[in-house]
Amino acid sequence: MGVGQDLLNVPFPQMIFSMAQAIAKGQLALDKSSIETLKVLANTQFDWLPEVTEVLFARPIKITSGNAPANTTVTGVGVDTEPAQFTKLTLLQAGINPTFYQFVDSTIEVKMSISSTTSSENSLDVGVDVSASVDFFFGSASISSHVNYHTANKYSYSVEGSSLLRTELKPAPHPQRIFPTFITVDATDPAHVKITKT
Amino acid sequence: MAMQMYIITFKGGFSQEASRAVQRHVRQLGGFILMVTPNGPIVAVDDSQAAAVRKHAAVDFMGGVSLNPRGRAAQELQRIFTENLSKQITIPAAGNSQLDKV
Repeated sequence: MGVGQDLLNVPFPQMIFSMAQAIAKGQLALDKSSIETLKVLANTQFDWLPEVTEVLFARPIKITSGNAPANTTVTGVGVDTEPAQFTKLTLLQAGINPTFYQFVDSTIEVKMSISSTTSSENSLDVGVDVSASVDFFFGSASISSHVNYHTANKYSYSVEGSSLLRTELKPAPHPQRIFPTFITVDATDPAHVKITKT
Repeated sequence: MAMQMYIITFKGGFSQEASRAVQRHVRQLGGFILMVTPNGPIVAVDDSQAAAVRKHAAVDFMGGVSLNPRGRAAQELQRIFTENLSKQITIPAAGNSQLDKV
């Protein structure tokens, strides 16, 4: 088995497909959640006071104290406050929007550590023993030899791998087709009704 | 640390008990209550704590929201948010600020 083959064996297409599939599923769930939020916002109303009218009018004040001459009048101002009727406004109209998210910068990082070691050990041991003895009537001799040959081959190959899948989630602008268009009909002047879309 | 705004709805609809319980839970997790609506509160919670808020027994749905400055009552909402936040945030006294030690 070679290092090159091990690198080729990394299931990149499968990893990319799995990641893309996971992102697609995640995106779908997020979009569904955002649409659900849109529904909640569109169905949540609160009382909104659109305007308070203040009418300023002259209210002269007669000065009666001190040494002021009789019938001295100074300018005074009165204020009539007229709050408009409370109007039901949805949170969506008011300005709270659902947040849409999108996945950005997805990365797959694969780290591999391949180590291969080979060691060979040989040993040869040759020995000769000679022994001789001479006696009065005869003599003897013996020769013995031995050959020891030892060989050991060690081979180790290890592959360690780790993979990291990283993706970033960021808020995205809301999709135009999902978000409602607000149509305002301004009928304050019946002769000139204005329709605006936002 | 990134705070996000969320709207929360309750299982079985709005109730004072559920609303209070969830608000307390949000506060315990370091979040803030920005506004209470007839459907549920709008809260600001750290991203990392959002899952913990979702797990509360009374929470039915929790969705991320953002403030559109061009909304009809955006300024009014901002004022309400600010007012409610000011009741929940304690600003350290000038002499005790951690920033002084930097």
